[in-house]
Amino acid sequence: MNDLLSALAARPLLCDGAMGTQLLANGLHAGECGMLWNTEYPEIVSGVHEAYRRAGCNLVTTNTFEGSSFALARHGLDGRMAELNRAGAQNARQIAGDSGWVLGDIGPFGDFLEPLGDMTAEQLHTIYCAQAQALLEGGADALLVETMSDPAEVEVAVAAAKESGSLPIVTTYAFQKNGDTEFRTMMGTSVEEAMGRAIAAGAHIVGANCGTGLSFADYLELARQMVRLAGKTPVILQPNAGSPQMVGEKTVYCATPEEMAALVPALLQAGVRIIGGCCGTSPAHLAAMSCRL
Amino acid sequence: MLMNTFQELTDAVEKGNRKEAARLTQVLLDAGTAPLEIVESALVPAMSNVGEKFKNNQVFVPEMLIAARAMKEAMAIIQPLLTAAGIVPKYTAVIGTVQGDLHDIGKNLVAMMLKGANFNVIDVGINVPPEKFIAAARENNAQLVGLSALLTTTMPAMKTIVDAMRAAGLNNVKIMIGGAPITQQFANEIGADGYSPDAASAVDLAHKLVAA
Ligand code: B1M
Repeated sequence: MNDLLSALAARPLLCDGAMGTQLLANGLHAGECGMLWNTEYPEIVSGVHEAYRRAGCNLVTTNTFEGSSFALARHGLDGRMAELNRAGAQNARQIAGDSGWVLGDIGPFGDFLEPLGDMTAEQLHTIYCAQAQALLEGGADALLVETMSDPAEVEVAVAAAKESGSLPIVTTYAFQKNGDTEFRTMMGTSVEEAMGRAIAAGAHIVGANCGTGLSFADYLELARQMVRLAGKTPVILQPNAGSPQMVGEKTVYCATPEEMAALVPALLQAGVRIIGGCCGTSPAHLAAMSCRL
Repeated sequence: MLMNTFQELTDAVEKGNRKEAARLTQVLLDAGTAPLEIVESALVPAMSNVGEKFKNNQVFVPEMLIAARAMKEAMAIIQPLLTAAGIVPKYTAVIGTVQGDLHDIGKNLVAMMLKGANFNVIDVGINVPPEKFIAAARENNAQLVGLSALLTTTMPAMKTIVDAMRAAGLNNVKIMIGGAPITQQFANEIGADGYSPDAASAVDLAHKLVAA
């Protein structure tokens, strides 16, 4: 575990970009479960990982965002949870090689914890433990608890990740803009509470990914706040490539690789230690960003 | 005296106090208040207040969910009385997440707010094909169909549904769309009747569309 953290202490690292949009570009239909491709078309999934590695990314993220048994149940695939997560980790492991790290991706389970929803913390803990276990078996070096909104869910996921092995745990939240310089998750969680509770739960690296309606200036401001609030804990940021626009029948993200690359020096200066991309980013974006790192 | 109870019920729902909402509903009914008046004068304003605060980022998803639950508690008492009296909501809306898309948190909030505004809401769920929207709109004589999409990749499915509804001759049914990646410009492009950025505005838009 100290491997990734000590590397990070020495230099900033580049994480990869979006997976879903890349699979769609390769023929995945909207509504199909992209995780199935971990076993059905592993060469395509690995191809995406490889493109990101070639772009200069040090960390690759497994194609397992929807990989909790609860989220997979929406596709009727909960019975294949372990297999699909393991395969996802293996695909990434094979490409990352010795010099790259594999982040085992854990996304939101897709509903609310008690008292808002029916899920108890114990049930969710069991669900996340099983996913974490499968990701580690497949060769993940660290676990990435991402696109979170509820710090209570983060606490459960981080505890499960911890219990499954002593790896670094990375935690990111999705924020929306709540005022000129104020950001909150959809659950109303402030940046301060979000960072504080993730760190207290045991996350080794904290930050943000995705987000709603955030401009590059917003991402930069968010980065500054997170770095200040995270103290000694390294911060990760994975912005979207702008907001999506419809061009003809297709949706496109508006930020070019150059525009995203231009953000990199400012983020580094703000103190961000891992930079990556979220929705709409491609290997071309990450390659351009890599040049500025 | 009763005026106070109305206000207390509004407050209870807004704060998501379920037990209090049920109790005060019963108090009003026992005092002879017409069930519909409770809906219109206490419950609808409560949801509208919460929606307004949500829109202005003063409250968030949890507050919306607990308020809706308190309203549901009150409606569980009131609904049988309304049904027995043959009182039905003036407008019916069919709402669902489009084909290929499984996200439903936003859609559910919009459905809650529409219910909160006393629409009859037919929730057709997630991953809904055009035929199902059309069938539900026909069967329920809906004035409004609401489409939600959270994925850029399922936005085109909205156009398919709009086209299919028009081709099926449902020209009088208004179509409203929403979801994080959706914009007014997109709504214009695909010929939807309106777009709304959040659940509270969705109610305003719904009223506007059905009244037009
Ligand atoms: C009818 O009229 C109207 C009017 C207004 C309407 C309306 C209709 N509908 C909505 N509104 C409006 O009113 C609501 C209230 O104000 C608002 O609704 P919203 O829905 O916008 O807002 C909600 C209140 C809160 N927001 C949400 O509920 C979405 C939250 C995030 C975190 C999210 C979640 C929770 C989930 N996800 Co998904 N997910 C993300 C989201 C990231 C984010 N932070 O946004 C997003 C949307 N997901 C994404 C993706 C890619 C995916 N997800 C997937 C799965 C899931 C979960 C199952 C894990 C879960 C869904 C749970 C559920 N029950 O819905 C997969 C797809 C499944 C599918 N086929 O649909 C998958 C493909 C997973 C993957 N492999 O990456 C991304 C979309 C990228 C894009 N732009 O296309 C994403 C932005 C996160 C990300 N970066 O990966 C307004 O938009």
